[in-house]
Amino acid sequence: MKKFARMAYPYAIWAIVMIVLPMLMILFYAFSTQGNDVVQVRLTLDNFIYFLTEPVLLKVLATSFKIALITTVICVLIGYPAAYFMAKLGNKYQNLMMLLITLPTWINMLVRTYAWLGMLQSGGLFDTVLGYLGIGPKQMIGTEGAVIFVMVYNFLPFMILQIYSQLIKMDTSYLEAAADLGADRVQSFWRVTFPLSLPGVISGITLVFLPAASTFQISQLIGQGSVQLIGNVIENYFLTTGDWNKGSAISLIMAVIIIISMYLTKKADKESAGKRRAV
Amino acid sequence: MKPLIQFKNIVKEFDGQIVLKGINLDIYENEFVTLLGPSGCGKTTLLRILGGFLDQTQGEVYFDGQEITNVPAYRREVNTVFQKYALFPHMDVFDNVAFGLKIKKISKDIIEQKVNRMLKLVNLEEYAHRDVKEMSGGQQQRVAIARALVNEPKVLLLDEPLGALDLKLRKEMQKELKRIQQEVGITFIFVTHDQEEALTMSDKIVVMKEGEIQQVGTPTDIYNEPVNEYVANFIGESNIIEGVMLKDYQVMFEDKKFECVDFGFKENEKVDVVIRPEDLDIVPKSKGKLKGIVKSVLFKGVHYEIVVETRPGTSITVTMDVKDDKPVVNESAKELMSANNFNLDIEDVKELTDAEIIARADAQAWSSETDELISIVKVSHDIQPHKGTYPVTFTTAAGTSCTVNMIVKDQNRVESKEYAEEIFAEDFFKKVDEIQDSVALETDLKIWANAQAWDLDEDIPVEITTVDYDFDPENITPGQYQVTFKTTGYEYKVHTTDYAEVDTMVGLSFNPEDIHIMSKETFS
Repeated sequence: MKKFARMAYPYAIWAIVMIVLPMLMILFYAFSTQGNDVVQVRLTLDNFIYFLTEPVLLKVLATSFKIALITTVICVLIGYPAAYFMAKLGNKYQNLMMLLITLPTWINMLVRTYAWLGMLQSGGLFDTVLGYLGIGPKQMIGTEGAVIFVMVYNFLPFMILQIYSQLIKMDTSYLEAAADLGADRVQSFWRVTFPLSLPGVISGITLVFLPAASTFQISQLIGQGSVQLIGNVIENYFLTTGDWNKGSAISLIMAVIIIISMYLTKKADKESAGKRRAV
Repeated sequence: MKPLIQFKNIVKEFDGQIVLKGINLDIYENEFVTLLGPSGCGKTTLLRILGGFLDQTQGEVYFDGQEITNVPAYRREVNTVFQKYALFPHMDVFDNVAFGLKIKKISKDIIEQKVNRMLKLVNLEEYAHRDVKEMSGGQQQRVAIARALVNEPKVLLLDEPLGALDLKLRKEMQKELKRIQQEVGITFIFVTHDQEEALTMSDKIVVMKEGEIQQVGTPTDIYNEPVNEYVANFIGESNIIEGVMLKDYQVMFEDKKFECVDFGFKENEKVDVVIRPEDLDIVPKSKGKLKGIVKSVLFKGVHYEIVVETRPGTSITVTMDVKDDKPVVNESAKELMSANNFNLDIEDVKELTDAEIIARADAQAWSSETDELISIVKVSHDIQPHKGTYPVTFTTAAGTSCTVNMIVKDQNRVESKEYAEEIFAEDFFKKVDEIQDSVALETDLKIWANAQAWDLDEDIPVEITTVDYDFDPENITPGQYQVTFKTTGYEYKVHTTDYAEVDTMVGLSFNPEDIHIMSKETFS
């Protein structure tokens, strides 16, 4: 056993260098003032106070979560039926569908987002089509709607695959048992299939909500400056103004909020499972 | 009485494979019916057709006089206990049992009443709010039964429900199921491959084989009067002997005539004679209808299981000539080579090929460094179709060579014929290390001696069950040894409380009504 344990050392070192150290640095920057050197360190809470007292930043934070939430809801609404029908398909078609769904993720997300920029901008493909239909021309780039649309496009595969993998491993004998006990298709869906697929939905939500809340490329490209998300603010502090301290503080706040919201989701899932049992 | 369920000429095909070949079966109210057969006989398929989970390819299913092929599973008045129970993992015991009632939108207080009564019936009233995943197999089984019965079905279908339980629990659940069936008074259709289970629980047993019904009857009927060898073997241990029905009430087997109670066969029709082990008695040899030698005695708790051999198997003894030759060494080419002498029939000389000679002599050449085999490029000999000893030389490309003798004989095969059974084998040559290296010596001896046995009447191979030899394979030295191959003779299993000494001669006695005559299987 000891021998095997020793084999984990390189990974532990890797994890410390690549994960723990950067986190500690963020922690350090968030709680210190600008212009420190190795000898002199001044700790402060100013970075956090600044964020919490700056209405513009709070509004950006609210917008970020709103957009992430809408994106997640849309992904569930589109992703669940898609995953459900995929799971019902024959084996051959399942693999094909799987390929089609994962195919776009083989291409870098930035490239795909640029492609949408081209299609959505004035005079682009969508604008022209809308023009022919007599609805356009319409300004799409720079709207929240367009940002949400591209986010859904980018994150939907994660949702589908999570729900699909949960549905596909469900024993069909549960459905036979439900039918045997008198449940028609709709009843057995809501009483058996859906509750049993919830773990997939929860992990799908996690996988969509997290990147949607913290992305900065999509809002930057599709939002064109008029849709500012918290990810853009952090990016600005780090890359444009060079204020790593404020950027770190906001990152930390984001991390805490996300951890709390994930904890609540998990807890809600467990409670609803408990409640179903208690009825 | 009108049947509750009628299967009419049910045929089921899966991808061109016919699983059910026209099943006709009536099932009545309050019956405990068992579909019995080995896996793949179609019993579960038939049950699933009744449950509505499969559609038959042809034929009709009537339930209470109504044709139900187009009635979906959820509208059928049957409930199922599934093989792996299929309890809903996201619900506790109570909710699992209440599932069917909630679907029917029955009021809460009545659901509670019914569920609790059902949990009491299966002795689980304390477990209402347990998580089903934390329950034992036996408990899950009871939940599954309660979940099905609470809907008050007219028929309960049970698909090998006891398969996953250990033996003790299985016995308990068998009793429990029978009690529940008698208490609720509905039809149970039970699928199993365990004949003991079927015999202890059922009112009616349906024995199936390869998609066809073999026999339908009460457990006693099926046990005492199996219609054919398949049923007799499947339903329990039995002695099955070949015989000829001379005329009504008279059968001949083991070259003796016996009185029996069976009639209606053709004159001199070949039949199978079944005698149950418990119907046979051990008596002094002078008083027995048959006599034989006690081969083994096993104490089975209440009785002894004694095996009596009335007719020995066919046997043959050949000579194994063991040599201690070392392989030929070719130092310069770093090659080793070895081969054995071998016997040859005169009539085989004409068709002899080099490959055959290499195989017979077991000639091999290999590299002394890598152990890898090297091909033998040349086989030279001067064989004549006359008796005698002829040298044969094997040579590799590098020039390593080795010479052995082919011994041509008139008839190398030794045959032995007895009771329409033939066995043959050949004398052979081996090396000490080949015998020591053998991991399955009995099988190797059969292969080396080319030992085979045949039933001359039916022209089918007979298994050689015993290989006897007079040497210690670990410490064998060069020399000649005897190897004997034997088939199994006629053996009777006897269940009796009397003891008999192994290797003594005893008599077997039985009454005319203990003989059951079955026609030879005409299908298969």
